[in-house]
Amino acid sequence: ISGSTVIVKVFAITVFICLFRSGVSPLRPICDLRVLEHFIREAQDSEVIMRGCRGGCGAMKSYFVPLTSVDFAFWEHIDVHEQAVEVQTGLSLLVQALSTAMKAVSNSRLASALDNNISNIHSLSQILSTVLPDDSAPASTQSQEVSSLPELLQVQSSFLRGKVRLLLSAAPACQRQNS
Amino acid sequence: NYKSKIRRKKIFVLTCALCTLAQLLQDETEHIKCFVEGKDLTCFWEERNNLHHQYTFTYSYENKNKMACAVSSLLASNKTIFFCKLPKTPFFTTLDVQVLRDGRMLYTRSLNAENFLFLDPPRNLTVMSSGKEGQLNVSWLPPPLKYMDDSMIYEVRYAVEGSNMGKVEVVKVSTMLVLLGLQSDTRYKVWVRVKPDGVAYKGYWSAWTEPVFGVTPPSDVDPLIVLLVLFIGLILCLLSLTVILSHHKFLLKKLWPDIPTPEHKFPGLFTVYKGDFKEWMSQNNGSMWGRSVHVYTEELPSLLEVLSEVSRTSHDTSQREEEEEKESESSDSGLTDRWRDPPHAHWLMEQLRALQENPESRCQSSLLQSHDTYVTLNQGDNEQQVDDVFEETLPLQTLFTTTGTSSLSTSHSDLGSLQQSSGSGRLSSQSSFEYPNHTWAPKGPGYAYMAVADSGVSMDYRPMSSSRIAELGRHRMYTNDYKNEICPHKWPLSGQYIKSGSESCTGPVW
Repeated sequence: ISGSTVIVKVFAITVFICLFRSGVSPLRPICDLRVLEHFIREAQDSEVIMRGCRGGCGAMKSYFVPLTSVDFAFWEHIDVHEQAVEVQTGLSLLVQALSTAMKAVSNSRLASALDNNISNIHSLSQILSTVLPDDSAPASTQSQEVSSLPELLQVQSSFLRGKVRLLLSAAPACQRQNS
Repeated sequence: NYKSKIRRKKIFVLTCALCTLAQLLQDETEHIKCFVEGKDLTCFWEERNNLHHQYTFTYSYENKNKMACAVSSLLASNKTIFFCKLPKTPFFTTLDVQVLRDGRMLYTRSLNAENFLFLDPPRNLTVMSSGKEGQLNVSWLPPPLKYMDDSMIYEVRYAVEGSNMGKVEVVKVSTMLVLLGLQSDTRYKVWVRVKPDGVAYKGYWSAWTEPVFGVTPPSDVDPLIVLLVLFIGLILCLLSLTVILSHHKFLLKKLWPDIPTPEHKFPGLFTVYKGDFKEWMSQNNGSMWGRSVHVYTEELPSLLEVLSEVSRTSHDTSQREEEEEKESESSDSGLTDRWRDPPHAHWLMEQLRALQENPESRCQSSLLQSHDTYVTLNQGDNEQQVDDVFEETLPLQTLFTTTGTSSLSTSHSDLGSLQQSSGSGRLSSQSSFEYPNHTWAPKGPGYAYMAVADSGVSMDYRPMSSSRIAELGRHRMYTNDYKNEICPHKWPLSGQYIKSGSESCTGPVW
């Protein structure tokens, strides 16, 4: 079920990107960062909802999440494929954590936001796999542990804004001709 | 030496941003204020107390061990700024920073470095005229930061040179802008600054660039407007022309009035006689002027006062007899005229008749002697008769009286029609008097009064009685004293001196 929904979502996103295409960027429609920015904003909305949540905001639970810190100097030296592997692994971790958290949340608003985030991450994975084929085997990625849902949401936001974005903007298929 | 120089330069550069942001972040509630310049995070805090304390700055991220940062200080006006710069600041992760004073926790804060970006201002700002009216093309380059090109927003500020009223335009992602709605032929100042767009990165507004000037092109006249103006002008011209043509006669009269000519009053003067007035007069004598002459036919008789001193001769006695006879005759005829016939009045008339019948023998009458002959013309209303009387040179030698208030009573109109003499004697007026009411008094004995009716062609003389004279004296009178010129050398009988006032004495007929 999830696979078909993902495929449908990817198709919808592709159409969405085509519709929202701007004349400024000569990038391929799928390389348009505005999709990612849309996802990032929705992740930030979840954080806002979390801050305002008063009851039924999820039990205190530990989650395994990817590392989000980016050292630009270090990051530039990493091969793009390695970057892709790291990003994909991190995205899958996030999906698992978010799904676990959503089960413990009774606040409907928060729950729907979390659900939205999960679907966005799925879409991102698909987009990235289209742009950067993930040929290499998933390496052992480092992870960190967080103890609460707010921290989890912050990690999600940071990950998307950082590594995912850097990867998408640096993907060879998405490079601008005049950069 | 070199390293110290670089350090000093770095501190100088740092302090520039620090000072700017210290001012900017004055109202921030957090004690520890941080910003990222380039890729390095700098955190600072302010202390008013100048007491020497030991400050320690530590930070940690991703559950790693705490790391310390070297604290520097900067002296401001009334405060001290302590700051620390984190090398190789990790982005997209939560940083925990603390400030310790003398080993004790003073401040603490958790932050993500990518949210406090303080970018450099844009580079290579250029302002150019696009060629179109009221437009300017502005372009610039983003600060040299990787991975952030498409996550920046810009703010363009522009104002007329010398004015403080500026407008601001926000530009997303794009590094160029066309300013619209500007004044033509005006010099504008343009600034630009940059900030992260807030999606992937967040931060503060950068400093403004140095202003760049641009001049808008002068306004050119829209050809459509020129055409419309010409068209309207043409229509107005046609309208005015139509109005002028339709009322040209009226306008011509107003602007170029006809010179009035009396041609219509003189029929044929200019057309037939070509302006020859004499000719025209001779042809049209009876038509125009004759009428005016006839107007004056009815005139009031005017009183003629004839003054003459003549000494009588032996002829008087015979005349007196005749006069007496005539007087009796006239009284028998039943004249109720209150005019009293003076004894010599008949004699006077005889003289006048003799003159009329034989004008040439006037001078030969031995009976007449004239010392002074005056003729006084009393004109009732008509003053024009003065000139007429002049023309009529009257042989008035015959008109005289010697004694008494004698006056001629009977009216002999035929005598009055004395024709013009050919110039034997002339009547000259020496003086003329005008007498208002009740001021004229008949002159004493020796003066003859006659009523003269002057028609312009002939003069009708009527003798007047003294009572009549007195009556007339009550009215307004105009008298002319006329002096008769009688050639003295032609008086055969007189040895007396005759006054003659005139030089031209043409020789009498006497």
